[in-house]
Amino acid sequence: MELSQLTKIPRVLGAGLATFDGFIIDSQFVHGYDAEKFGAMSAKIVNQIKKNFSKENASIILYTDNIIFLAKAKNEGVLFVIADKDANLGLIKIKFEKM
Amino acid sequence: MFEYYNGDDGVSKTGDIIMPDELAMDSKALIFATLADVYLTSGMVDEAISILKDGLSRNPNYTLGKIILGRAYYLKGDTEQALKILEQIYDQAKESESENLYLGHIYKKLGDYEKAISFYETTLKINPENKEAKRELELLKPKINMEEVVAAPIEPAKPVETITPEMVAVPKEEIPVQELPVEENIEKMEPEPEIVVEEKKPEKTSEVVIQQETPTGVEAEIKPEIQEPVVSKEQPAVEEIEVTPILPEIGLEPVVEEKVVEKPSPFDALNEPMQRLIDIKTVNGAFILSRDGLLIQSYYKGREDIEELCALIAGIFNDADNAFKFLKAGNLEKFIIEKSDETICVITAGESLLCIITKPEAKPGLVFVYARKIIEEIRKILE
Repeated sequence: MELSQLTKIPRVLGAGLATFDGFIIDSQFVHGYDAEKFGAMSAKIVNQIKKNFSKENASIILYTDNIIFLAKAKNEGVLFVIADKDANLGLIKIKFEKM
Repeated sequence: MFEYYNGDDGVSKTGDIIMPDELAMDSKALIFATLADVYLTSGMVDEAISILKDGLSRNPNYTLGKIILGRAYYLKGDTEQALKILEQIYDQAKESESENLYLGHIYKKLGDYEKAISFYETTLKINPENKEAKRELELLKPKINMEEVVAAPIEPAKPVETITPEMVAVPKEEIPVQELPVEENIEKMEPEPEIVVEEKKPEKTSEVVIQQETPTGVEAEIKPEIQEPVVSKEQPAVEEIEVTPILPEIGLEPVVEEKVVEKPSPFDALNEPMQRLIDIKTVNGAFILSRDGLLIQSYYKGREDIEELCALIAGIFNDADNAFKFLKAGNLEKFIIEKSDETICVITAGESLLCIITKPEAKPGLVFVYARKIIEEIRKILE
């Protein structure tokens, strides 16, 4: 799994893989973004979805007024990507699903 | 329909509840009162009562919340409880249009038309444009007249069926001298004689007719009240006569019951855009919920776990929103959860959330285009 496939997409701010308890396995982030915090957050949200909806490998896309955040449960852990609001989400999603 | 936060007396010109400025200082109070009001206008009375009880347990001195609770109990049909609540806070809320209006409704339902009229009149003093109070007064004043007509046979002296419409009150001055002592007795019984009747139809002098039929002055004084269809504002004698059980026989009660149901839901405006959204093949259904997980309006037929879903979605939304705020990454606007069997799209609409559930193959872009239009409508309704 190469995170660079995601981070080289324009306006992607970073991507990472975290364990289900929130520890970072691997990450590539631009300066100013804390991978550990985002990793912990993605683990929390993905666990919550898994617990509430009883679905394996569910994914979530969150839009704030600044960024777009994608997270998905994989066998290895939680894969997450953070992109600028203006990024091409469709492209990110395709790459994201393929990983 | 909704006019919130104009800072007046807690009610709109149309009689709907308005949130005063001081509510803005207490966001919890704002949420529960606003939400309860929305529930009430949507016909979800039990939910509104539940929220109000909970909110009032945290804000026991919140008068407006109590007014809405009284209104909720009235709409539920629990008149006794509604009356109890509204009377408890009357001293603090006597300037409230809504308080007076609903007390009027309650007393009307209880058959105490005198008090109902009094409260409707107070409502109109506060807001002369209140159409509901005007309409009720128009309905009730003839009833009071009818009460008088019905009450007349209680008098033992003369049969009422002989009364003709031509009969008019005898002015005090025209009563023969020999009858004056009797009239004095009447004045003891009825401290404020009806002189108004006289003034309206001065040209009719039916003194002779009355005297023929009513040898004593008692009937002469009462009958003019009976015959006069135009209401005199003073109704002193009515309190002494119990007429409530007779009224249903006249057939006026059904008119009273109709109006409570009439209010259209503010969410009716959403029906058209929502229908367009639901008509998309891949959309299973949609619903509106509050940020604290309570269902506001559902457009998802056949699904029974909507309320559970609301709670789960609100939980995820709040957690994510808090996390983003902590990370200084902005406020959460919308999110999509993609599951193997369905996709859940959630979009903020002011203080509420619009949730659209689609099939996995749905195009989220299209869903969001429709959603944006609906959100504008929701904002208009809820804010």
